[in-house]
Amino acid sequence: MTAIEKEFPPKSKAISGMIGLALLAVIALPLFIKNEFYLDLIVMIFFWATLAGAWNILGGFAGQISLGHTAYFGIGAYTSTLLYLNFSLSPWIGMLAGVGLSVLVAFVVGYPCFRLSSHFFALATIAFAEVLRMLSAYWRGLTKGGLGLLVPFKPGFEYFMFNNKLAYAYIALTFMLLMIFVTWAIKRSRFGFYLISLREDQDGAESLGVNTHRCKTVALIISVVFTSVMGTFYAQYFQFIDPEICFSISLSIQLALLSIIGGLGTLLGPVMGAFLLTPIDVLLRGWLGGVFAGLNLIVYGAILIVAVMYFPIGVGGWLKIRWERLLRDRMVTPPIPLKMGMASSLLPSISPGGDKTDELPLLRVRSFGKHFGGLHAVRNLSFHINRGEIVGLIGPNGAGKTTIFNLISGFYSADSGEMEFQRERITGLAPPHKVCRKGIARTFQIVKPFNNMSLLENIMVGVFCRIKDPWESRKEALRIIDFVGLGRHQFSQASSLTIADRKRLELARALATKPDLLLLDEVVAGLTPKETTGLMSIIKSISARGVTVLMIEHVMKAVMTLSSRIIVIHHGEKIAEGTPAEVGENKAVIDAYLGKGFRRGK
Amino acid sequence: MTTDLFQLVLNGLLLGGVYALISIGLTLIFGVLEIINFAHGEFLMLAMYATFWLFQLYGVDPYLSIVIILPVFFLIGLSIQRITIQPVLNSPPLNQIFTTIGLSLILQNVALFFFKADYRTVKTSYSDLGLNFAGLIISFPRMVAFILAMGFIGALLIYLKTTYTGMAIRALAQERRASMLMGIDVYKTYRIAFGIGIACVGAAGSILMPIYFVFPTVGSLFVLIAFVVVILGGYNSLIGSLFGGLIIGIIEGFSGFFISPHLKEAVYFIIFIFILLFKPTGLLGRK
Repeated sequence: MTAIEKEFPPKSKAISGMIGLALLAVIALPLFIKNEFYLDLIVMIFFWATLAGAWNILGGFAGQISLGHTAYFGIGAYTSTLLYLNFSLSPWIGMLAGVGLSVLVAFVVGYPCFRLSSHFFALATIAFAEVLRMLSAYWRGLTKGGLGLLVPFKPGFEYFMFNNKLAYAYIALTFMLLMIFVTWAIKRSRFGFYLISLREDQDGAESLGVNTHRCKTVALIISVVFTSVMGTFYAQYFQFIDPEICFSISLSIQLALLSIIGGLGTLLGPVMGAFLLTPIDVLLRGWLGGVFAGLNLIVYGAILIVAVMYFPIGVGGWLKIRWERLLRDRMVTPPIPLKMGMASSLLPSISPGGDKTDELPLLRVRSFGKHFGGLHAVRNLSFHINRGEIVGLIGPNGAGKTTIFNLISGFYSADSGEMEFQRERITGLAPPHKVCRKGIARTFQIVKPFNNMSLLENIMVGVFCRIKDPWESRKEALRIIDFVGLGRHQFSQASSLTIADRKRLELARALATKPDLLLLDEVVAGLTPKETTGLMSIIKSISARGVTVLMIEHVMKAVMTLSSRIIVIHHGEKIAEGTPAEVGENKAVIDAYLGKGFRRGK
Repeated sequence: MTTDLFQLVLNGLLLGGVYALISIGLTLIFGVLEIINFAHGEFLMLAMYATFWLFQLYGVDPYLSIVIILPVFFLIGLSIQRITIQPVLNSPPLNQIFTTIGLSLILQNVALFFFKADYRTVKTSYSDLGLNFAGLIISFPRMVAFILAMGFIGALLIYLKTTYTGMAIRALAQERRASMLMGIDVYKTYRIAFGIGIACVGAAGSILMPIYFVFPTVGSLFVLIAFVVVILGGYNSLIGSLFGGLIIGIIEGFSGFFISPHLKEAVYFIIFIFILLFKPTGLLGRK
């Protein structure tokens, strides 16, 4: 069962009814609570749910583990408070100012940090939050340093202060519902698919046209907006802030903890985490905090370790699997019928655009050079690919074939040489998503499926390169699944597929981006002869529909049969080029690669 | 004026030696197990408390307590690795990060629970001893700290270069699969590497006790310094950590003097962020 099935649910009135009822219950809940203590608890639950949900957008969906989110919380709290204290500006406006400042800071500091791998990203965010903490403690003139700032109580809506905790509860609830709505909207949109894909495999996502840097930044900004808002809320609720509270690393950890326990990357996971853990925390602190200082944190730490080791998908993740299984069993609208060989109107539109009558080469590479330190992986390499061809790229291991693919697709930049695609100079075009959008798609030698997405969703990521609407994208993806013959697995998790099916998925995904040129990197490697033949016929169909193919292969049966032309690479240089027959006879090729047995075997 | 400058450099250098010892354990763990041990500072804190209590209850001199601390913390390292780190070695980074964070939370608050939040120091006969050398004052405990730290680092480097286990550790840090194929017992080596890393930080704790004070969250302070040192020196270079530690010690001294004692941490954090962004391999790290 996929996210798509959940977002476009079968017309099941019962489910919509249940959701509506739950919503009503949550909204009505605060009205029934008269006890001050429990009302405070509800406020805190909504508060933490919003914060954790905000973190979840960046940490759960996009997979960027920030441990410095407290920085934005603090900026929100201090900005609105200082503006209120010094200029009598309504905290509501101050809240917006805080958001603005937080977003600015996130952009300046957070954005460059995305280059870092996860451990280092986490470190950088911690350091950044710590710097802010120190600065706010040091700048006594501005922030009164460690003394903190007191917000004098003055009830009134424009002052964002209320006599009755009920008002705070409803404000927090509104923010929480808003956060849930935004998360839901993200999840069912192209952006949501892109976020999850870049979390699962960044290179794979880039190769399908996902602008990973931009997506991460947008996720960060959305996350920061909510975090900053809740910072202001905190200041107005507790009416006291200081650097230790506002820039505390425990807050950052708490957000992550709630999301993990609740279920990373799920819609309601953080909310569930908040509903579960906030009462526990308050209770622990009440029972144990007074008598045994810090014992509640010991329990927290233990919960964290146990959760991460044994329940990494969290409560929400576990429920999501149950829910999806339930929906699948009750599905009313069947998917588009999955039979091979269908009427052509239902075939995917993989024929690329572009001028078909163009006689000039589709791709022309001139004097490509790439070295890694002293190793010349590619040396003065020139070749061209004509539209409609299937060209084989063969050579010994380490010859530089995959390096050539990486150079063409934008994962490496050439040290020398030029590249023209459809008569446009694209040398050095990077990052890879730009190359994809130009019309060059690739597969990877070691396949990179998006493991926690279904097969259908994997392909949709590719389709989204050209089609923005999720519903249309789904239909197109189903057609592609049918085309490559993976129909019976459309709802399976990518991680559960066999290697043969994963290879097919990789191919289908790349195909989904409607490329003019498809680079296949050892796509039949490791397959049985029967599987190989199956894939070969798919490649033939693809070529028949107008896609140009360049394939790296070691399986001679495949490459010799399919290719109209073969290029042979050895030590980074082209040593031969010609028809399969010509290349098969070429002495240099036989010496370097084919071996004398090849001719005899034929 | 020049004497002041030399004094700053000297003080920074001496403290930097201890930073180097703390960081080298972290680098070892990161290089071999590829996890960032967010709980590293807590082991320092525990070692400091151990040294404190040994002194307080049994009159053991802090430097002598190293003899006890070193093997004990090595064993602690082995156990912790097996219980908490090993299960998540193949998990995504998120899980690894939060395992050590959870550990750090637990250790900090266990210490808080048992020892309370008061600051503790160790006062020995030589705590305030200073030596005069060419117009520069050298604090005796700091000098001993430096010498011992350098000694341990030197011993570690020799160990890694000359013994089989040492070479196994280095091999594992570079290439895991090949190490397995060469018959290296990977999991045992992971444990030993982690154990050595914790032993190093344990020794650092004892060395640090005469010149600093301990409280349950002192680890957080030093671990952040250690992160900066590790990244500055090069996250997979032990020698890098050595030099990184010395450099950070000096930078800290200078920023404390010329800018403000309260902002000296901010200074090296900002340096930290810059390095991460512009030269993530640090001074001596390989790609």
